[in-house]
Amino acid sequence: MTYFLSGGSKSGKSMLAQKIAKSLSAPHYYLATLRPTDAEDRAIVARHLQERDGWGFDTIECECGILSALELAPENGTFLLDSVTALLANEMFRPDGSVDRTAGERLASDLVRFSQLAQNVVFVADFVFSDGRGYGALTESYRRALGHIGVKLAQACGNVAELSASIPIWYKGGWQP
Amino acid sequence: MELIFGGAYQGKTQYAAQKYGLTDADIFTCEGLDLDPDARCIRHLERFARACAEEGKDAREEFARRAPAAICLIADDISCGIVPLDRLERTWRETSGRLLSSLAAQADAVTRIFCGLPLEVKP
Repeated sequence: MTYFLSGGSKSGKSMLAQKIAKSLSAPHYYLATLRPTDAEDRAIVARHLQERDGWGFDTIECECGILSALELAPENGTFLLDSVTALLANEMFRPDGSVDRTAGERLASDLVRFSQLAQNVVFVADFVFSDGRGYGALTESYRRALGHIGVKLAQACGNVAELSASIPIWYKGGWQP
Repeated sequence: MELIFGGAYQGKTQYAAQKYGLTDADIFTCEGLDLDPDARCIRHLERFARACAEEGKDAREEFARRAPAAICLIADDISCGIVPLDRLERTWRETSGRLLSSLAAQADAVTRIFCGLPLEVKP
């Protein structure tokens, strides 16, 4: 089973994703994607760890090269990838300050491949596409890449929802608690 | 006429091209106040709205005056950010929203695209 969830900030994506993941077959793996760079990031990681405490996920650190996670874990089981947004940032904006403009295409095909190899996977992404602000070229290329990945994952996954106020609108498939 | 809207980079044009069998020659991309009256599909209506805002014109009237025969209109939804401090940016958002509301009222079908997938919001 493959799920793709997207929505605005604090729209309930992560909580629904955890519930869906836990309803699918064990073992359950959480693919941790955030590369902490400051105290605020570390606080977010601490909060996420606390929220997952007791849920029974094995955490796999996965800042880049998502397909390598399948070498560390058996493919049968359930993967929760939260989030595609952070993963793209890691792949695109490198620690040495360089920018990898091919990251969007590569990550899109890696994630589609991941969805085909893993028994169950729940992808979480952020919806950052409906304002009128003029962003710089760099941010715009990041948004374009994230949009491209979203289209590809929505195509590849059997179940696709947009979240707002913790309520999913299912564009494909669905999920019942 | 079908109005297709949604966030940026959501595959709206690709969706329309597939649904209506459009080639690149059928699709007119807005850059300013010009609209191709014969194009089968007009996209980036938010840019047309921007040009109207810059000229202090009502986008609904400007659109009606040009009376394009397109079967399919596409726009980026730019409505969901913080109210911009800049007056032109604010006017653009409002102009775009009013144009979309007016076109949605005239349209036979209105579809919102999310990650390439359609949500029929009219009829």
